[in-house]
Amino acid sequence: MSDREEELGFAPEHDAPIPYMQRIRDYYQALGYGAPYRWAHYAEVPFAPLTKQLRDSRIGLITTAAPYQPDKGNQGPGAPYNAAPKFYTVYSGDSAAEHDLRIAHIAYDRSHTTAEDSNCWFPLPALRRLAAEGRIGEVAPRFHGAPTNRSHRTTLDTDCPELLARVRADKADAVILVAV
Amino acid sequence: MCHQTVSLAARHLEANGIPTVVLGCAKDIVEYVGVPRFLFSDFPLGNPTGRPNDPQSQAVTLELALRVLESAPAPRTTVQSPLRWSADPAWKLDYSNIARLSPEEIARRRAEFDRQKEIAKTIRTKPQAAE
Repeated sequence: MSDREEELGFAPEHDAPIPYMQRIRDYYQALGYGAPYRWAHYAEVPFAPLTKQLRDSRIGLITTAAPYQPDKGNQGPGAPYNAAPKFYTVYSGDSAAEHDLRIAHIAYDRSHTTAEDSNCWFPLPALRRLAAEGRIGEVAPRFHGAPTNRSHRTTLDTDCPELLARVRADKADAVILVAV
Repeated sequence: MCHQTVSLAARHLEANGIPTVVLGCAKDIVEYVGVPRFLFSDFPLGNPTGRPNDPQSQAVTLELALRVLESAPAPRTTVQSPLRWSADPAWKLDYSNIARLSPEEIARRRAEFDRQKEIAKTIRTKPQAAE
């Protein structure tokens, strides 16, 4: 960095959001895999305005984390990537109960974080607190697990309609979706 | 894949009249898919709802997401959390950065990737009981 840039107070060039699509494309090409992955991409984006105040709303939660399965190998903090606990159908859980959800089946940043605190990716306890405080009306009776599938077709034709049906059955007014 | 899946689900809910907000750490993927409301945390993947063992940062993150849900004026509203992962941004140079891997490490990762892909295939093709 030149003295001039320092005077201007610029941040380092790499201090910007990581270009994941480029990194992942270069990575798999270097590993020897063929055609780059085609990410889903739309020009048009739907928008449903809120019709109620949040303090009067029932809030749903969707996650890509997976229930801990003791027979599926290491899923603990800092575990190496482990495909065994992956799931391929939508699942649901009781929002009033405690859950042990893990992210060992996800390519999170294992160099810089260890997945030791599920509150970093599963805010159900925090949502229940906000309902108790009156910030939101209530938490929907169930949260839902969304399978992460390479197949766009499966996500769009099977998993998204299933998530919608469950969210509707819960009568949720709005939904928080957490991508790990 | 997570960010793509969640973005597609948000779009589907929204197209059917249900307002959503996405929380995530991969800004480019979520914005490329295109979602109505997005709270972006510039943190290592794995921390979309705050810093580990830091309830304060988790509360701030969720509150910001609710504010985005309440106040987004139009689709493709992204708000970036003001929280910083660390004063030093060097962590951003590491994730899947091929320039930082030796040929031996690349070969090892390819073998491991193929092994995990086989495990995933076994689960995918096995019938599952829907909950």
